[in-house]
Amino acid sequence: MKKISKLLLLMSAASVITASPALSQTYFIDDATVVTDDGRQEGTDIIIDKGQITNLGRGLSAPEGATVMNAEGQWVTSGLFAPLTSLGLVEIGAEDSTNDTSAKDAVTSVSDLAVDGFNPQSPIIDNTRVSGVTHAAIIGRTSHNIFAGTGFIANMSGDFDSVLQDESFIYVQMGSRGGKLAGGSRSAAFSQLRAALTDASTYPARFKGPEDGDALPRRDAAALARAARGLMPIIIGADRASDLLSIIKLKEEFGLDIIISGAAEGWMVAEELAAADMKVIVDPVANLPGSFDRVGARRDNAKLLADAGVDMALMSFSESTSHNVRVLNQHAGNAVAAGLSWDEAFAAVSSTPSKWFDVNNAVIAEGQSDSTLIVWDGDPLQVTSAPTFIMIDGKPQSTMSRQRELRDRYNPTREETRAHKYR
Amino acid sequence: MKKNTLLALASAFVLTLAGCNELGEDDKKVDGEGAESKAAFASTYKPFPSETTLITNAHIILGNGEAIENGSVLMTDGKITEVSAGKLEHDASVTIDAKGRYVTPGIIDVHSHLGDYPSPGVNAHNDGNEITSPVTAEVYAEHGVWPQDPGFDEALAGGITTLHILPGSANLFGGRGVTLRNIPSRTVQGMKFPEAPYTLKMACGENPKRVYGQKGGPGSRMGNVAGYRKNWIKAENYKKKLDAGEDVKRDLQLETLAGVLSGDILVQMHCYRADEMVQLLDVAKEFDYKITTFHHAIEAYKIGDVLAENGTCAAMWADWYGFKMEAYDTIQENIPFVHAQGACAMIHSDSAMGIQRLNQEVAKTWANGNRAGLDISEAEAWQWLTANPAKALGIEAETGTLEAGKRADLVIWSENPFSSYALADQVYIDGALMFDRHSGLKPKSDFRLGHPGVDSEG
Repeated sequence: MKKISKLLLLMSAASVITASPALSQTYFIDDATVVTDDGRQEGTDIIIDKGQITNLGRGLSAPEGATVMNAEGQWVTSGLFAPLTSLGLVEIGAEDSTNDTSAKDAVTSVSDLAVDGFNPQSPIIDNTRVSGVTHAAIIGRTSHNIFAGTGFIANMSGDFDSVLQDESFIYVQMGSRGGKLAGGSRSAAFSQLRAALTDASTYPARFKGPEDGDALPRRDAAALARAARGLMPIIIGADRASDLLSIIKLKEEFGLDIIISGAAEGWMVAEELAAADMKVIVDPVANLPGSFDRVGARRDNAKLLADAGVDMALMSFSESTSHNVRVLNQHAGNAVAAGLSWDEAFAAVSSTPSKWFDVNNAVIAEGQSDSTLIVWDGDPLQVTSAPTFIMIDGKPQSTMSRQRELRDRYNPTREETRAHKYR
Repeated sequence: MKKNTLLALASAFVLTLAGCNELGEDDKKVDGEGAESKAAFASTYKPFPSETTLITNAHIILGNGEAIENGSVLMTDGKITEVSAGKLEHDASVTIDAKGRYVTPGIIDVHSHLGDYPSPGVNAHNDGNEITSPVTAEVYAEHGVWPQDPGFDEALAGGITTLHILPGSANLFGGRGVTLRNIPSRTVQGMKFPEAPYTLKMACGENPKRVYGQKGGPGSRMGNVAGYRKNWIKAENYKKKLDAGEDVKRDLQLETLAGVLSGDILVQMHCYRADEMVQLLDVAKEFDYKITTFHHAIEAYKIGDVLAENGTCAAMWADWYGFKMEAYDTIQENIPFVHAQGACAMIHSDSAMGIQRLNQEVAKTWANGNRAGLDISEAEAWQWLTANPAKALGIEAETGTLEAGKRADLVIWSENPFSSYALADQVYIDGALMFDRHSGLKPKSDFRLGHPGVDSEG
């Protein structure tokens, strides 16, 4: 049932910009402003055949039988990639039975695979996709120690096969919250992390018996082993400039692939972050001294980091990272208002995290199979814009969601004809 | 991840301070007429010095639903003195050519916790919710407001000129809200909007029953409604005695509730679900008071007609949802759908972050509404930012639109404020320039001193 209704809805949604109402395997997008890794290309046509972008260029003609979409100069981009979310792990925040984002009474930590709690059928996935976010890195939050577990990468199709990588990164919390989780101080948190990395980088050699780890039990040491050897990214949450410098040292000491999440005071140590090839995920609107970890927060942090050459993605941490990931484009637009270039801002919510997490088909390129692309009704970083057509991994997507079904049921412009309308 | 904390704050619900104090009563006896001392915590607000300022060539959104594409605004002695299409000739001290830019009334946020949950969010700063009893109508949000909250300054940079600080939502009767002018002041009294009516924060639904379920109740929505009714009966009796001129033992709780019954205090009610809002409208009818505004009205779009009939406003987010069950059913068209059904709709932030870009939040929901088939102009939608919240706070005669005689609360935007890229260039409060992005003029909280670089405004 779900598939059928999705298909029908797609047809009605696509018909808005379509000359031919027939749904086909071949799409022709006429006269678009296309954003590729090389920048913006206006007046460009796209031919998509069986999910592959076969042609990308000016003056192309529609193949026989293709579904034609006249973009009339509107934007076609890759989907947005949200670099750190808890999408699909929680339906209703306050209801524990629907919430798999944390496990305060668990005995395990690093080895908790977020993917085991993922529900691709959650309506929140649909709400997210229809706003243009097509991919996300997903993990829960820390609860009883500094490790939130192992995160994964999924697309937002809502399909059961939407997980692209089961075990993609580790999340570690540092800063004041990490200190609290480790027993009360930053010193304890760094000590715990160093001990865990040593356990994991010597796994399995040092684990003669089940209790042999300094900081991690056998199972968690095994789960951290690849990351401890620099073979898997570790996302570390921290904001204070001094913490960022400590993390740079840690990266050098252990040879890690680290992504710092937060980095509200990153601008203060931007040169050092760049020199250390550190990747960072920053909230482009985090300008308040919300805690003593980020008294130096300022709204042009992203711009200053980009100017220093830091490899940077953007994430809207100040909004819900489970339910409201869809504000990512709006917040990236705010980064532009604060001085970041449009191209830098868009890359920071698309191609940059795609590269970090090896999701190669998330950028638009000729010859790209299993393509992901979005046709927008305006500048994708404009708060007033929305997708009119979405393709993920070569498959056209529904533009419907639970919220849009509610919208249609209560739309004051529509005469409701159901027999059992709620009166 | 960080958001979870923020959302918990958002519903203004911090599960820390337990314990159940018996509420003391002041034993002072007072006469009926003077039951509430008018002088207590009186506003000492004084407008900042202003110059006669003429803005020309601006795209002016008036706030009353209309716009002038190329017009002028004159501000004299802190008031709007003239708004006209075309070029206005005046020998003003300051003339600003706003060619290509937009002028709007200053934004009013009807639901903020700035000052009572200030930055930095340390434990010592949790002053927004008296979570000690389901009935705390005696507390005043202003007594928890720290005027040095750096959030006020950032909100100003987002065009906020007036804001309403409410207690949190743990309690059935949470206490009095206060309306503030967004100016730097050593005291909250210095920020208080002169003569603005007090409000009473009330809360429906999940929060009260969750907080008090194991602490003597209410433990269900049934208990919530019983709790409202029991206290309104007490308030009726108290008011009856006051009206009859009898000597009454002064009771701060009942003083607030009686103020609602007499129409002096406006009810601002946290309520998510459609069915629950309609139940509460019935409680209001039973005791003959008015609910001015439902806040966080996630399902208001389902009952826009009922809200319109009752003259009750709805304050909403553009897209927050799902943090609890009663927040599950929002739609991204909530505000425009309520508006289209003839009710008074408005945006609100409930957030130190969201308050900085309420114009964008309106732009977002406005665009979604039109995409769903409505035909609402930008000028019409701007009412959700200024005129309607002014109405909800009882200050519509003073601010919320650009009309001659009103306070000169005004923002000049770098471009169309229905854009991610628009920034407030200048913000005026009572005609005084309080923020100027280009010169760097901006209040700076004492807290900011000695901390690393926050001066750049890009």
